[in-house]
Amino acid sequence: MVVRSYNDELQYLEKLSENSWRIKKGFQPNMNVEGIFYVNKQLEKLMFDELRNACRPGAVGGFLPGMKQIANVAALPGIVGRSVGLPDVHSGYGFAIGNMAAFDYDDPLSVVSPGGVGFDINCGVRLLRTNLFAKDVIPVKEELAQSLFDHIPVGVGSKGIIPMTAKDLEEALEMGMDWSLREGYIWAEDKEHCEEYGRMLQADPSKVSSRAKKRGLPQLGTLGAGNHYAEIQVVSEIYDVWAARKMGIEEKGQVCVMIHSGSRGFGHQVATDALLAMEKAMKRDNIETNDRQLACARIKSQEGQDYLKAMAAAANFAWVNRSSMTFLSRQAFSKQFNMSPDDLDMHVIYDVSHNIAKIEQHIVDGKQKTLLVHRKGSTRAFPPHHPLIPVDYQLTGQPVLIGGTMGTCSYVLTGTEQGMQETFGSTCHGAGRALSRAKSRRNLDFKDVLSKLQQQGISIRVASPKLVMEEAPESYKNVTDVVDTCHAAGISKKCIQLKPIAVIKG
Amino acid sequence: MFRRKLQALDYPTTDGYQPDDESKFRELIVWLEDQKIRHYVVEQRTALRQTTSPTWRQALNKYLQDLELGGMVDTSTNSEISDVLLGMGIRYDYCDNVEKFSKASSDLVKAEQRQAPKIVAANPLDKLDFSSPDFISGVNTLADQLKVAKHANHLVTLEACAALVKTRYSKEAQKSGLHKQKTGNPFPFQEVDQSFDCGDYVLNHAAKILRLLFICDIRDLQTKINECIVAVQTVTANPKTDTRLGKVGF
Repeated sequence: MVVRSYNDELQYLEKLSENSWRIKKGFQPNMNVEGIFYVNKQLEKLMFDELRNACRPGAVGGFLPGMKQIANVAALPGIVGRSVGLPDVHSGYGFAIGNMAAFDYDDPLSVVSPGGVGFDINCGVRLLRTNLFAKDVIPVKEELAQSLFDHIPVGVGSKGIIPMTAKDLEEALEMGMDWSLREGYIWAEDKEHCEEYGRMLQADPSKVSSRAKKRGLPQLGTLGAGNHYAEIQVVSEIYDVWAARKMGIEEKGQVCVMIHSGSRGFGHQVATDALLAMEKAMKRDNIETNDRQLACARIKSQEGQDYLKAMAAAANFAWVNRSSMTFLSRQAFSKQFNMSPDDLDMHVIYDVSHNIAKIEQHIVDGKQKTLLVHRKGSTRAFPPHHPLIPVDYQLTGQPVLIGGTMGTCSYVLTGTEQGMQETFGSTCHGAGRALSRAKSRRNLDFKDVLSKLQQQGISIRVASPKLVMEEAPESYKNVTDVVDTCHAAGISKKCIQLKPIAVIKG
Repeated sequence: MFRRKLQALDYPTTDGYQPDDESKFRELIVWLEDQKIRHYVVEQRTALRQTTSPTWRQALNKYLQDLELGGMVDTSTNSEISDVLLGMGIRYDYCDNVEKFSKASSDLVKAEQRQAPKIVAANPLDKLDFSSPDFISGVNTLADQLKVAKHANHLVTLEACAALVKTRYSKEAQKSGLHKQKTGNPFPFQEVDQSFDCGDYVLNHAAKILRLLFICDIRDLQTKINECIVAVQTVTANPKTDTRLGKVGF
């Protein structure tokens, strides 16, 4: 890595507009394209502080600052357009979280990198609506929180309560949500309102190690720990009445359920296995990167193809996982209100993935190209009339679900044409960390965090309370800043704001 | 016996008529009087209708006399009586439809047979003059009644009417519940949808409507797919949970 002073580094950064900065070539060695990141005033300060800290003499260890990571990704072979940092960007393994990068699928030198997808493959958010209103739910929110907690297995090492055999798992990995449909856990409309219709067709369970399957089998249908949660939320603001109506959200006060979860240990093992295989492939094919963590393989190589097939299986795992929890949430609500989920109108509004790599068609320099789009901590946000979004959202654009941090708020955005052109139809995914987990544990007390939530009137059920400060709102960037930046930059459009009244966490 | 004559008269059982079978013979006589000859008024037929009565033969003789056949037939031979009365029935039938039967030559029958398939396929609508003022005003009235907007070409208007009738008022639509007007929230697509501009307001409007129709078709397809999935689910679905497997709640 080049060692320069902070002021020298600033030479490579140029403010493009109120909400975006350009990272010029030379900021990191061998950059094939430029970088761009989206910020507002508050987020800008966080980003530049991070860079300044990294430039202090003697600063070693830890992850590289987000800006540097964006620039390193811009140096990967086959990248097209720009390496994009979204407003919630923060350092991660190899790629920053909140970084999207697209690679030319037809260029033989292009690479796929597990670091560009993340360890929690197809981590994502699903939003269910109900026809209940705050006044129906607030009097029973404690009971409802407990009921959800009693239905959905949460926490580190939790096990699913939907009986699965090894054969069931193989089928689920191949079929994704079609498996859940076949077994009757979900509704046909759920599949309709899910990215990729809940199934990646290139999934190949035979490319997944038996270790991953062993880890995954008992965990299917569990929420997991970390930043994952299930929340009962109330619509607190509607910015786009028409789009909200298309999603079945009519008024403020309507109650929704948000599920944020991923592929659990299964996805983690798939990523770990791939990183090992790719380190060897890099040596063989002489692929050079700026950062060891950016392990990658040519898309067309055996390792690259194997990873894409295994990743698709992990994505299917995550969809079955969220589907199982949808089933359990519907049961919890149905028992509490003594009504069928149908009568409660518990439809899936949408289901997004924010850790995934997908093959998509985009227009680059006026030409249609097939790209492998890595979205790590970044959500697909396709514009109105895009053929890959459900028919119900053809007029509004794809719903983008942004899960906030515990006790703050969440948002639903919609995709825009401008986002399609500037960021390959991608936008932010959540708040984005501001403090590392270790730092959060040192600086905050879990009792304070819990009592603060109580004061806000949020019922909370946590499996491991001693880790709750890692997820405290203080550890994260302000999600409203993040969403407002995306809205102001035009890469997605604000539609609905939701506030939690009950949280279930690992 | 007498198969052709019986056939010509549309007698219910034409095959296997045996005049010597007394009961069949009596049935035929009664039928001929009832349906074809109708010499008596209904009240006078009572004696003849009692076919099991021992005095039936006397009634028959009286009947033949009344028909002024008394001396001409051998009243003891069933086959002769049958023949004469069938002949009489045919004559009456003929007299009722002289015109129709007198045309019936073998040539005509052949020609009719040749034309027959054409007649079946012939659509009476083919003969309509689609451009006559009558037709146009008819279409316009229909459109008014169905509240269908009129097109400059009345045939296009008619097509629109047909589409509406098919989706809303036809028996199939009524059965499947499609006839109910779909309810939904209005969407201001003119203002909200800014995704393209052809530079002409009217053209934009038309293009956007075209796109809405496309979305409508896709929605229809997706609904059918969902119905298909639900149909399969009724066979395969068997959701289970077992709380002993994992740990829920703390």
